[in-house]
Amino acid sequence: MTGDKGNKLARALSGEPTNGKLGTDAKLDSGSQKRIGDQLRAMYDELMQQPVPDRFKELLDQLDRKKDGPQ
Amino acid sequence: MTQEPDLREALLAAVPGLRAFAISLSGQVDKADDLVQDTLLRALANLHRFQPGTNLNAWLFTILRNLFHSEYRKRRREVEDPTGSFAARLKVQPEQGVHLDFEDFRVALSELPSDQREALLLVGASGFSYEEAASICGCAVGTIKSRVNRARLRLAAALNVSDIDDLGPDSMTRAALQN
Repeated sequence: MTGDKGNKLARALSGEPTNGKLGTDAKLDSGSQKRIGDQLRAMYDELMQQPVPDRFKELLDQLDRKKDGPQ
Repeated sequence: MTQEPDLREALLAAVPGLRAFAISLSGQVDKADDLVQDTLLRALANLHRFQPGTNLNAWLFTILRNLFHSEYRKRRREVEDPTGSFAARLKVQPEQGVHLDFEDFRVALSELPSDQREALLLVGASGFSYEEAASICGCAVGTIKSRVNRARLRLAAALNVSDIDDLGPDSMTRAALQN
């Protein structure tokens, strides 16, 4: 079970998909918005910090050597 | 046509952001890397269309997004429920609810409608303005704003963050006392 506020939100959202009324009118309080934003950036930063796979370096090196270019 | 070294560097520098976006969109690292590779190949083949001085990142993200959607449409005809399997695979202890971690967040993100997910990723994580995100997605700025807002509301509902000050096991009790 989720808390009461979550349930209310979930109920409200489940009926909305096309009119978008709730989506444009309802706003999250700034604290919740910040928590969501922090989570999103933390998850994203983790992905961003992964080393670039060699295949991409090799791909760009290869194309670099082929001076005719791909056209 | 020669690849100038700084262009090569610029493309390479864009890769981590493209990968993060592709992984978050598709939920699959292998598929994301294929998407990034296809994006780079397409960008190199169409460099003559890129206007120097404009935003290279936004251009690359536009290519990646378009490839993702055409690929997704293709797969949708072939495979049943391509997104459902992603959510199911990532869903670990869905009733846990005690603390939020990236796993919970990823599941909630994966369950967003894809237009809302991409809007939130572009604006909230990739650092694009609403205007840039609108141009990447080929829609109006107001549409992006509305999608981002709806995405946040859905995430807040899914993760139950909206009335919890401190994430902990007694949050339900506290929520009950507040009402």
